[in-house]
Amino acid sequence: MKIDHISEHGIRRLVDEFYARVRADTELAPIFNRAIPGDWGLHLATMRDFWSSVMLTSGRYKGNPVAVHLRIEGMVPRLFDRWLELFGETCGELFDDSLAEAFRAKALRIAESLKLALFYRPDRPWPRSVP
Amino acid sequence: MTFVVTDNCIKCKYMDCVEVCPVDCFYEGENMLVIHPDECIDCGVCEPECPAEAIFPDTKAGLESWLKLNADYALVWPNITIKREPPADAKEFDSVPGKFEQCFSSNPGQGD
Repeated sequence: MKIDHISEHGIRRLVDEFYARVRADTELAPIFNRAIPGDWGLHLATMRDFWSSVMLTSGRYKGNPVAVHLRIEGMVPRLFDRWLELFGETCGELFDDSLAEAFRAKALRIAESLKLALFYRPDRPWPRSVP
Repeated sequence: MTFVVTDNCIKCKYMDCVEVCPVDCFYEGENMLVIHPDECIDCGVCEPECPAEAIFPDTKAGLESWLKLNADYALVWPNITIKREPPADAKEFDSVPGKFEQCFSSNPGQGD
């Protein structure tokens, strides 16, 4: 039975399942393992808070994800596409169609915003010709 | 992409947005708030929280001047993450036309 409404429980399942896939993914695992060398439990808790804040307006997450991503070496736009693929798949397996789409739409907007913050340069075309 | 605070925030400044913003990207002027466009992650959580309906995505047409105002003042006004009491006369100024011309203050607010 797929989850049909937003809840902390659903967010926990999404975060746990999604990051299990990230850690098994040949493209994403290396960069995540470099960025999170220690306690994944802490990262998962942060991501539960983040999605709770974004989808349930709980205000639990407070941070600066743009600054966090700017500090990570080796970021390229393609990694965001792969992230979105895995996230979308996970949503589709756990959630019904409309709930999965609500999460995907939110993730897409946030990813686009982070990509702009990381890669946009006024003197270069956007988005195809960035490195 | 970012969200943008527009004229109906002026003298209403309810501040519900700052409580829900996950990335603390609101900055406070004397009588309105602005969003820092380089910190906003476009999550859209603030938009429906605004009682004055003053927050819009920058993809909406005609917001260029407001985007510039948000970007400019986010650099000089203090950060605000904790809601305080809105102005006592906030309701009286809700939806009043011409607030920018008549009421906008470039002075900083108190911040957190």
